Amino acid sequence: MLALLAEAAASPENGKWLAHDKNEIIWGTLAFFVVVALLMWKAAPAIRKAMTGRTERIQAELDAATLQRTEAEGERDRIKAALADSDAEASRIVADAHETAAKLKENIAERTVSEIALLRERASADIDATRRQSLADLTGDVSRLSLGAAEQLVEHNLGDDAQQSLIESYIARVGVSN
Amino acid sequence: MSDQISLYAESIVGFARADGELAELTSELPRVADAVAASEELSSALTDSSVPVARRQQIIEDVLGATVSGTTIGVLSLIVATGHAGELGEIAAAVLRHEASARGEEVAEVRSAVSLTQDQLDRLSTALQAQTGRPVTVRNIVDPTVLGGVVTQIGDSVLDGTVRTRLNQLREAF
Repeated sequence: MLALLAEAAASPENGKWLAHDKNEIIWGTLAFFVVVALLMWKAAPAIRKAMTGRTERIQAELDAATLQRTEAEGERDRIKAALADSDAEASRIVADAHETAAKLKENIAERTVSEIALLRERASADIDATRRQSLADLTGDVSRLSLGAAEQLVEHNLGDDAQQSLIESYIARVGVSN
Repeated sequence: MSDQISLYAESIVGFARADGELAELTSELPRVADAVAASEELSSALTDSSVPVARRQQIIEDVLGATVSGTTIGVLSLIVATGHAGELGEIAAAVLRHEASARGEEVAEVRSAVSLTQDQLDRLSTALQAQTGRPVTVRNIVDPTVLGGVVTQIGDSVLDGTVRTRLNQLREAF
């Protein structure tokens, strides 16, 4: 083919739009068709196959991309939902915390009041007990001191006459008891 | 303890009766018991377990040897050796009771702040005899702690008329 084209190029122009040699036209045309037939016979299936493969590959890539997009959208929706849930959970936790704090405050207040009442009651009981104990101690001290003083008084004032009187009185009582 | 002391007294009375010195013993033992009770030094020496028994028996010999009979010394040595010197007064009283009981009599231990006269002892003895229905021998012990009045122990009975007891009753009443 190249040789023919080179030969045609080397031939002188005949001033017409077709080549001046008819054989050249015929053979050129035949060669053209042969080449076209060869191309259609051998190259077309391969080209078609390549095109089909490419189409399939592109389709597969498109499908994969679609799938990924769908998955990404699903993930996006899930994250959005999770974020929404997180906000709701956070709100719920905050509400719970407020409620717990309020209850705790109320309980502490109630407990404090009851503890104060209990402490007051205990203090009152302690004061009463201490007062009673002090009174008993004081009474005991007074009686002990009084008796000690009485003992001293008796010891120093029991003269012989008093002793004899006590002895006579005792003997008389023993005699009477018979 | 009182049963043990009673057994001791019974044994001592038997021992003295066998020696024929029961009268001396019953006369001397209470006096010795009173003397020991009155002397804190002598009482401590006889009851101190850190002093060897032989040494304590020697103290008895030295202090009382010249004034009491051999039977009484022997009884005192036995009491010290058996570690009952602290109960000497109770043992002496129990000896008197046993001896009197053997004679069909009772012994009354009369404690007072001052000594009773013989007339008072006789009248008290008569009053107690009328109460018990048996002859009563009165043993007077001077005990200043009673302050005033008299307390008599006869057998298991106690007739208390002391100022000390009245003060104690007053103390308990408070």
